[in-house]
Amino acid sequence: MREDAQITRRALLGGLSAVGVAVAVGGLTVAAPAPAEAQQFGLQETVDAALKRIFGGRAMKDGGGKIKLEIPLIAENGAVVPVAVSVDSPMTPADYVKHIYIVADKNRIPVVARVALAPEGGRAFMGANIRLGETGDVRAIAEQSDGTLWQVKREVKVTVGGCGG
Amino acid sequence: MADIGKVRIRVPSSIKAGDVVQVRTLVIHPMERIERDKQGKIIQRNYNYINKVVVTYLGKTVATFDTTQSVSENPFFSFTFRATDPGQLRIQFFDTTGGRYEGTTEIRFS
Repeated sequence: MREDAQITRRALLGGLSAVGVAVAVGGLTVAAPAPAEAQQFGLQETVDAALKRIFGGRAMKDGGGKIKLEIPLIAENGAVVPVAVSVDSPMTPADYVKHIYIVADKNRIPVVARVALAPEGGRAFMGANIRLGETGDVRAIAEQSDGTLWQVKREVKVTVGGCGG
Repeated sequence: MADIGKVRIRVPSSIKAGDVVQVRTLVIHPMERIERDKQGKIIQRNYNYINKVVVTYLGKTVATFDTTQSVSENPFFSFTFRATDPGQLRIQFFDTTGGRYEGTTEIRFS
């Protein structure tokens, strides 16, 4: 009788601690990957490393006549720099611009944004307010549905940097 | 910072069927920058910034923005879509702490 009680208590305690460990481990595995995954797209790296990581060394054509990059020549406040990119494209399901990338060469996180577009967009256009850490080139890269890459870049002079990090 | 997550959407006042419409949107969000300690080392933590913006119109995704900390505080975005039918335009913002902010507007023809 007494022995029975002991065994059940031991079993009960063992069971409880196992549950406790499972909860702790489960909690950790759920919480841990989220930040790593979230930060994966914008890494601290050089612009060459970023372009290599994203495009894998694919050739880029000069998109001078195709992409229109609107950004001020002189940005007084690097914390808010308006940028707008429009790409000359028919935007039909057969031929459209799949992605527009904004890359700021001198930022510690050079990849600013990637916009995935659909033919329903009607026009290959995107606009955003970005941060610029210091004077440097800003690139707009357009990826067409057939995989062709077009690039334009322009230098922006920044009076007061706005990246901090 | 009670306003975090407030979404504003601006569409042109008059839209005709078939028009390509440019929409401007803004969300109130701190978009935390990377912080460094006195030695200049990056403090590793989960920074709270918006990393995804999804635009849907009539249930279809029109544009998706993947954004990083190089985007300004209170991020502003603009994009276009072809207004084929009256219906709902919905913009969802996701941040790295699991926050989800949403704004909708009705597209009507005049």
